[in-house]
Amino acid sequence: MEFDELQKIWDSQTKEPLWAINETALHNRISAKKQQASHITNVSELILFVVNLGAAAFMIGLNFIKSDAGNLWLYLMAAWMIGTAVYVLVNRLRRLNGSHTFDRSLLGELRYAVSLATYQVRLSQLMRWNIVPIVLLSMLGVWKGEQSIGIVLAIGLFFILIYFASRWEHGIYTSRKRELEALQNKLEKGI
Amino acid sequence: MSESEQNQLFKAWISQYKALIFKVVRAYAAEPMDQDDLFQEISIQVWHSIPAFQQQSANTTWIYRIALNTALKWRGNERKHVAAHESLDNVQAILQATPIQIDERLAWLYEEIYKLDDIDRSITLLLLDGFSYKEMATIVGMSESNVGVKINRIKKQLITKSKQQTYHGI
Repeated sequence: MEFDELQKIWDSQTKEPLWAINETALHNRISAKKQQASHITNVSELILFVVNLGAAAFMIGLNFIKSDAGNLWLYLMAAWMIGTAVYVLVNRLRRLNGSHTFDRSLLGELRYAVSLATYQVRLSQLMRWNIVPIVLLSMLGVWKGEQSIGIVLAIGLFFILIYFASRWEHGIYTSRKRELEALQNKLEKGI
Repeated sequence: MSESEQNQLFKAWISQYKALIFKVVRAYAAEPMDQDDLFQEISIQVWHSIPAFQQQSANTTWIYRIALNTALKWRGNERKHVAAHESLDNVQAILQATPIQIDERLAWLYEEIYKLDDIDRSITLLLLDGFSYKEMATIVGMSESNVGVKINRIKKQLITKSKQQTYHGI
């Protein structure tokens, strides 16, 4: 078969719709999904922002009030958390500005998707490493409070679980990013 | 633009251009539930895109671009994860098969398009729907010469496959 014949088959057959649309179901799904997608990202960003900023403010406040005020490590920890909150905020604004652009080419859309995936990878990486100072501080608190070995082990196990969960999440984002980059490369090189 | 105007235009577009969206859905999703899911994703993006549409391109170009962009990033396995958390009301099928008998040559052509990689599928759909090299280059974001190279390769591939298929009796 020559290409012209394939074209004729296509032209003669694809004008008839393959399916009928259940409009009520479509309307319901669109209403539910358009709220759901933005809701998930909004909530996770909001939690990260509030938790980091709140914890930083708490640590700075505590450092001032306590008699052994002026603990440099706590100030550094607070600065780290404020930095995380600002990072989340800036990228949230960037994400929102870019999310309603529809006149991009496939390549433009892929570049945008890769930049978002990079943000997710960085954020999940950052959240994973955030566990380290939190573990240290928690363990110091437990040690100072002279808690039993059982509690120490329970807290340790809890953080190990969080670490593996965040590593799993990070792996998902990384593989998604690789897929998108592969597509982007293919388009850019025209192969 | 008010939400009711947006809804009105959305309904009109879906009604007028559903065949176009169906082609993209068929080319990128093989299973009925995946097709349903991809159709929803494209519909949501089309709905979102309406306020940004400034009539600088034809409606078909705009909708094709959104449909292909969505299909390119869509993954069937995401649907399984989401569906597990939704009630039965929400996973009610949206696409219902019509009694139209599909020509087996068209079914074969869709099958071959589905076997191509993601980018080539987009270019093949645009080619079969009569877009010029320039329009394709704009939609895809490649140079016209690269589009030309890809089209030559796709055409050769489809012709070779069709000859093998004819040899085997279709």
